[in-house]
Amino acid sequence: MALSDERVARWSRQLLVPGVGEAGQERLGAARVRVVGAGTAAGPALAYLVEAGVGKVWIDDPEAVGPADAAAWLYPPSVAGTPRTVAAQAALEALSRFAAIEPYPTGGVPTAALICAPSVAQALAVAEQSRRARIPHVVIEVDADGGGVVAIPPGAPCYACARSTDSAGRPPAPGAAAVGALGAGELLLLLCEPGRSGGRKIDVVRGVATARPTTRLPGCACAAVDPAQGP
Amino acid sequence: MNLATKSALVIGAGGLGGPALLTLAAAGVGRLVIVDDDAVETSNLNRQPLFGEADVGRRKAAAAAARVQTLYPAIRVEALDRRFDAADAEDLVRSVDVLVDGSDNFPTKFLANDAAARARRPLVHGGVLRTTAQLLTVVPGGLGGCLRCLFESPPAEGEVPTCAQAGVLGPVAGFAGALMGAEAARVLAGERGAYEGRLLTFEARSARSRIVPVRRRVGCPSCAGVQALQSSRPLPREVSSSRPGDGA
Amino acid sequence: MTPAARIDVRPFACPLTYVKTRIALERLAEGQVLEVWLAAGEPLRSLPRSAAEDGHRVVAVEALAGAPGSWRVLVEKGAAEADPWR
Repeated sequence: MALSDERVARWSRQLLVPGVGEAGQERLGAARVRVVGAGTAAGPALAYLVEAGVGKVWIDDPEAVGPADAAAWLYPPSVAGTPRTVAAQAALEALSRFAAIEPYPTGGVPTAALICAPSVAQALAVAEQSRRARIPHVVIEVDADGGGVVAIPPGAPCYACARSTDSAGRPPAPGAAAVGALGAGELLLLLCEPGRSGGRKIDVVRGVATARPTTRLPGCACAAVDPAQGP
Repeated sequence: MNLATKSALVIGAGGLGGPALLTLAAAGVGRLVIVDDDAVETSNLNRQPLFGEADVGRRKAAAAAARVQTLYPAIRVEALDRRFDAADAEDLVRSVDVLVDGSDNFPTKFLANDAAARARRPLVHGGVLRTTAQLLTVVPGGLGGCLRCLFESPPAEGEVPTCAQAGVLGPVAGFAGALMGAEAARVLAGERGAYEGRLLTFEARSARSRIVPVRRRVGCPSCAGVQALQSSRPLPREVSSSRPGDGA
Repeated sequence: MTPAARIDVRPFACPLTYVKTRIALERLAEGQVLEVWLAAGEPLRSLPRSAAEDGHRVVAVEALAGAPGSWRVLVEKGAAEADPWR
């Protein structure tokens, strides 16, 4: 099914990017992404996913908008105290009329996930769900020096194998938005060009990005051929 | 570090300037000046998070200022709806603490470079093209070099860029712009810049970074603060939408 | 050589001229030829170079019969896009 003239005009700039093209843009339109978290780094990530033409976004965040969320790009002071899902949905719908945005888990099954969870435990849990469902997912970690992004296409080393073990607790640096944007970018690449690359982790430390392929830890369940048979 | 007494001038409110402004505002910078002479277009909306559906047709500087002000009411935001021009570039830059260049053409980038040196203010320079982002910080009196140390002069005016070069992936611009904002906040806080004296290039598909040292070139007139400022001539719309380095 | 498809991008301004062309090329197989009708001036200067940059081969550039100021460019689709940083 060809892109309408309206959509071609909207996404003309990214249609020119190698790896995107009409096929990539159509995959983005068909994608249904569950985004866990709607705070500091997730806000920019959500904005870029919606602007890129992702067809459906579920926002999975039970919290209310708090003072720290001012850095998330989506929340004016007037929405403080209201649920993040509601406020984020309103802000994102204003960015693009082509995206369907809902609180998770209203109707439907995700085809991808972007995980920017407030705790490591939750990130691990959602990543494991995504792995078992064999959907591409990206995990965003934020720390005081910047953060990191782990890209996990189906079959790649899982988040438990790849994650940072020393980040925790300290408030995010101003560079958190950059890490959020990077996370959105990694998910777009996984969606536009499935099968093109293996898993990788990108660390952003004081503004400098360093990438490496992810590797499995010995004995991890993610090495099983059929993830549904894991422990 | 409290940045409420600090100010920044951001050239361009689009793909680079937008995230830079949001990052600076979130970092608590007290005053922001936005310079942009364009209007919001539909094709901007794949990558410019300050603007939504309702903003198409609005003047960018005003729309950007309004959005930043809504999100961060405590910050002073000024909108200048015009081109960053040689006539008052130096005075404008001198009125702030840091210059952040999110412009989308080389003549403006060189003007920003030269004006910052003359005004003795730090400059955070950024560019994005397709899936590649580039960052450099120039600090007056520093050991690191400037844009002229790296390139000597803008690409020949007569060279027509290709339409293919107009492509940009939104998150790549967002990554670059947010890094520019974070770098400017770093410099305002008195810390050493991450891109001072070194050009960082990041290509998103390969996730490969390259760092190129940029040393001060002996005799560079810009670094010495004596480079004469040259205006970037306004170009016909259809060409200015696809110049090398465009993507901001 | 018979073009596999033809596209008229004269109604569009850059970069939409090339966006449409690129999409049309995407739908062809490697080696197939796309015929593009475009206007003189910037589209004519820019489109063939854009196509070449994306790895396609410009086979012919000639005036379009019966349409003064219009041109006909034949582009042969190249191989899948090379990774610039491999």
